[in-house]
This record gives sequence, structure tokens and C-alpha cells, in this order.
Amino acid sequence: MKAVCWMGTSKIETLTVADPELLNPRDAIIKITRTAICGSDLHLYDGFIPTMEAGDIMGHEFMGIVEEVGPGVKNLKRGDRVVVPFTIACGSCLFCKKKFWSACDNSNPNAHLMEAAYGYSGSGLFGYSHMMGGYAGGQAQYVRVPFADVGPLKIESDLPDEKVLFLSDIFPTGYMAAENAQIQPGDTVAVWGCGPVGQFAIASAFLLGAARVIAIDRLPERLEMARSIGAITVDYSEEDVSVLTALKDLTGGVGPDACIDAVGLEAHSTELQGLYDVVKTALMMETDRPAVLRQAIQSVRKGGTLSIPGVYGGLLDKVPFGAAFGKGITMKMGQTNMHNYMKPLLERIEKGQIDPSYIISHRITLDEAPAMYKVWRDKKEKVTKIVIDPWAEKAA
Amino acid sequence: MSTALTERPGADVLPRVSGAAALLNGHYAPPPENKDGKTWVRTSALVQEEPQKLYELWHDLEKVPAWQEEIVSVTKTSAKTSHWVLQSGDKTIEWDAELLADEPGKRIAWKSIGGDVHEAGEVIFEASPGNRGTMVTVLMEFEMGVLTRMVKTFTGRDPKQAVVENLRHFKALAETGEIPRSQSAPHGERGMIGGVKRSIYGEKIPTPTGVA
Ligand SMILES: NC(=O)c1ccc[n+]([C@@H]2O[C@H](COP(=O)([O-])OP(=O)(O)OC[C@H]3O[C@@H](n4cnc5c(N)ncnc54)[C@H](O)[C@@H]3O)[C@@H](O)[C@H]2O)c1
Ligand SMILES: [Zn+2]
Ligand SMILES: [Zn+2]
Repeated sequence: MKAVCWMGTSKIETLTVADPELLNPRDAIIKITRTAICGSDLHLYDGFIPTMEAGDIMGHEFMGIVEEVGPGVKNLKRGDRVVVPFTIACGSCLFCKKKFWSACDNSNPNAHLMEAAYGYSGSGLFGYSHMMGGYAGGQAQYVRVPFADVGPLKIESDLPDEKVLFLSDIFPTGYMAAENAQIQPGDTVAVWGCGPVGQFAIASAFLLGAARVIAIDRLPERLEMARSIGAITVDYSEEDVSVLTALKDLTGGVGPDACIDAVGLEAHSTELQGLYDVVKTALMMETDRPAVLRQAIQSVRKGGTLSIPGVYGGLLDKVPFGAAFGKGITMKMGQTNMHNYMKPLLERIEKGQIDPSYIISHRITLDEAPAMYKVWRDKKEKVTKIVIDPWAEKAA
Repeated sequence: MSTALTERPGADVLPRVSGAAALLNGHYAPPPENKDGKTWVRTSALVQEEPQKLYELWHDLEKVPAWQEEIVSVTKTSAKTSHWVLQSGDKTIEWDAELLADEPGKRIAWKSIGGDVHEAGEVIFEASPGNRGTMVTVLMEFEMGVLTRMVKTFTGRDPKQAVVENLRHFKALAETGEIPRSQSAPHGERGMIGGVKRSIYGEKIPTPTGVA
């Protein structure tokens, strides 16, 4: 089959590789009909996540048709249409029982690597380094899905792929970000990053009752998209704009009740501290660039909540923990507990409350993916979400 | 205990000593120090299964190759003894083991009685505080022969880690009926350092299949 492979930092190639096979009783093989490139893939592309190996297949947002199931999978059969969550969960460990699916004890074959780095291991993820399991990803024509009796969500209606594909990651991720923001009626919520995760965090904040959402980014088309669903926007790159001041100005000096960091470890920064982080990460004295995290801690109101869906991987420098303590804020974060949200969010799509396909800007083939990774990172042309049809020969 | 605190609504009865000696008179005790050529490992896992079931799974010698890394066969040689064969790369290591204690649902202890391996071990199944599952604790002590050490270094898994991994596999098998694996996932050309990385990541040790 064809697959998009990581061949080194900033090096992605579409190659012909072996087809996946069933390995365990609870596995399924899925023929992929649509897959997408995620902001998280950029952290791999840019070499921020350790334990990638040349030849690894990328991709964790995908859906398709069940091709084959192992003897342990009773709820799916060949021909079923499914969306697959990017976190792999067994359904029976202590964490799965507590519905903390992204912390599953039994889905990471390389748990010892994550244990060494983080103390404990989280769940395995598709196409996201050997530390996170070494599983082949879904920017390919077929994929093996472990614990297929627990994760995949069956789509019984005739909704097109594009409307349900984002249930595989970014819609639930944006939704959990809003849920973690502990929104109360009347709340003002600030969202950093108007990428796909930010967009769905904004939409979900409204669905959960926010009175006002303030969206922060620098890319005009993304800010425009945020305004189109009802947010107020702030361009942090404009001259004379201080995000902290802007948020005070827009909240009568109180600050947002909740702040959502939908940017993560590769935040841009226009200030001196940005240069500081670039130098420190280059010297390997710091692994992440936490410019947004710092700003969000400063900006959130006293006793407010900071929700962090943006990914962080390692050691952060100059995080104003004193401000967090001084204001008594709550912080919630983590990989999305996908399995909690897929079904209820599918229902919202079916009811017509939201059509997640509004964020798509590009529809491409597998062969076009390597070039599009660069476009997706550099953001020099208007690009909001890239969807791949793994069976198309030429772009639609 | 003094009377300074008389209300502990959620507290369990406090154990004074625990299995595998992690607790002594209510105080945590670290695993024994490595010395005189002996290596000690203690590791534990919380498993969502009854102690009796876990005891039975551990006790099922024929099933051992299904979840212990590199073990190719375990054969019962008498009521209390068994013969073990481990294959690592192209090296084969064999030894005999004897059962020292066997308390159904609670504890199993063993030691090697000749061959290429010198080890002794104990596994304990206990209820966890607050009934969150069964705490399985393994304590092992071994003297590594030169041969063993060489084989292990070659494959990139130090023998202490092997004990930890085996308990992890045991837990996965008990909780899910299988052991997670990704080693034969499809991939593109690995390039020159692929083998080194596989070794560092511990991926040269085949993940046990979960079936025997
Ligand atoms: N928690 C999870 O389970 C989970 C799941 C998916 C994605 N993520 C993470 O969420 C983050 C966003 O993902 P995405 O797909 O939307 O990525 P993206 O790269 O498309 O979006 C990031 C956006 O942040 C903006 N940005 C950069 N610096 C900024 C700053 N200083 N202030 C404000 N905005 C800034 C960029 O212009 C861009 O629009 C990533 O870190 C991704 O890894 C997490
Ligand atoms: Zn993603
Ligand atoms: Zn689990």
C-alpha cells in the first residue's frame, strides 16, 4: 500500500510499504477512506517529539471501512463504516474504567520509554513516535487498529466522510478543551490559536454556554473563520497589541474566566522571550517554547481556569508559576479522552448543530502530502485543514 | 496509634508488613541493595482481576511463553520442579526451577536449582487499598552469569527491565486477553541507524504473543 512516511526532521515521503496484518485477536484492519494532517503532526515534522524512526508511517486522524476483524471483535464486521479515535484504549484497565481513556495502561507496547520520561506511560497513539507505541499511522491506504472492539465509532447514517472525519481527534479535542475550561453561564473564554483545535474549542465553548469568546492568532483567514462562528478576534502580531492588555480591555480589567491554550509547544512569539526560547531549544536546554502558556497564565482572571489542549513534550523554562499560585488558578490538560466524546458529538453533527467540515481548505492525494506538510507548517498560503483521499490519484 | 486523629472515614485497615517486603512496621522499605554480584528487582502492577485468577494464570507453566519475554518453553519435571528454556537472538539458556512456596490466591515463590541462571523470586497477590484491583508485586534476586549478561546487553534489554516488562505483559494479558504489540507494523526504509534505535527502544525483544 501507499503511506506517508517520516524520514527525518522536515523530511516526509510517500512510499510503497507492506500492508498491515491482524496481530492480536481484538485487532481490525481498516481500509482508509479519508485521513487528515494535524497540528500535532507538525511537532513530529519539526523534530520536537523524540523516538521517531525513519520509515514510520504518519497520521492519527482517519476513518474508513472495516476490511477484516480478529476473532475477538464481535461488534464490527467487514463493510462497517467507522471513525477511529487517535488514542488507543483497552477498555478494561483501571484508567479505562474511570473513563480516562488517554491514560490506558495496556495499549502502549513501549510503555517503558514513556515511563522513563514521564514517570508513567499514557495510552498508545497511532503514528506518533515509538515512545507512544510505535504503531503505524493512518496517512495510508490501510491501517491496523488494536482494541477495535473499544475505539472505532460506527457511522450508520449517510453523512459524508468530511462531516464525521474530525471525530477522530480535533473536534473531541476542542470539545474537551472547552469542557476542561469549566465554563459557567456568562463566562468569557479566551482561546489562543485558531487552528483546527482552536476552532473547535471556540465552537464548543459556545455550545457549552460561553457568553463571549475571544480568539487570538495572527493568520487573517483563521481569525476570519473564528469571527464567522461568533468570536471576537485579536491579532497578536499587530503593532502595539499586547495580548494581556487586549484581554483586560475586553473584560473590564477582570481577565477572561477561562483561557484555552490551543497552540502548544511550538508557539510563535514576537517578544524578546521568543528569541530566548529559540536559543534555549537550539542549545537543547529547553525542549518546548511555552510563549502562549506564559501569556495564558498571566491573562486568566483570579481563580480562573486554564485549559491546555496544545501539546507539550518536555521541559519548559520561565513558566510564571508564582502568578498561577498567586491567583489560585486551576489548570486542566492532557491528551483527549476521545471515547467520551465521539458519540455525543456525532449526535450533535446529526442534529445539525455543527458541521465540522467548515475548516477544510485543501483536499489532496497521498502523493501530494509531503509537499503539503511544508505548506501546513509555513502557513504562507491560506491553509486551515488538509484532508487526504488515500485512493485518489489526482487532487480533486 | 495515638488519639490525635479519631476519624478516618475512608481508611482501610493498615497493614503492618506487606508481601515482598515493601512495608515493614508501617514504614516503606526500599528493595534490597545490589551487592555481592546479586541484583534485586521489585516491581508491582495494579490488575483489574481477582487474586485467585491471577494466581492461576501465573501458575500455569505451559502458558508462561505466552507472556514472558524470550521464554520458549517451560516443562514440568516433577510436582515442584520445572525446566526452563530461554532463547535470546541465537543464544539458548536453560535452567531448572523449584517451587518454594505455593499459597493459592496469595503467593508463589521459586528458585533456580541448576543451569545457566541463578535466581530466586516471589510473586504476591494482595487486595489494593480501597479495592481498586489486585496489587501484584514481584520480587526477584539474581546472579548474572557472564553469558546471560552478554546476551542481554546484545539485545538491549537489561534483566531488571525484563522483570518489569514481564509483569506488564502479565497484567495486559489478564486484563485484556492479549498483549499490545506493534513490532511488525508496516514501515518505509529504516535507514542506517534503524537497528540501533530498535535496540535502544527495546524493540529487538519480540513482544510475547499472548497465546501459548
Ligand atoms: N490534546 C490533544 O489530545 C491534542 C489533539 C490534537 C491536537 N493537539 C494540539 O493542539 C495544538 C493545535 O493544533 P492545531 O491542529 O490547531 O494546530 P495548528 O498548527 O494548525 O494551529 C496552531 C495555531 O496557533 C497559532 N499560534 C502560534 N503562536 C501563537 C501565539 N503566540 N498566540 C496565538 N496563536 C498562536 C498559529 O498561527 C496557528 O494558527 C497543537 O499543539 C496540537 O499538537 C492536541
Ligand atoms: Zn491530531
Ligand atoms: Zn485501558
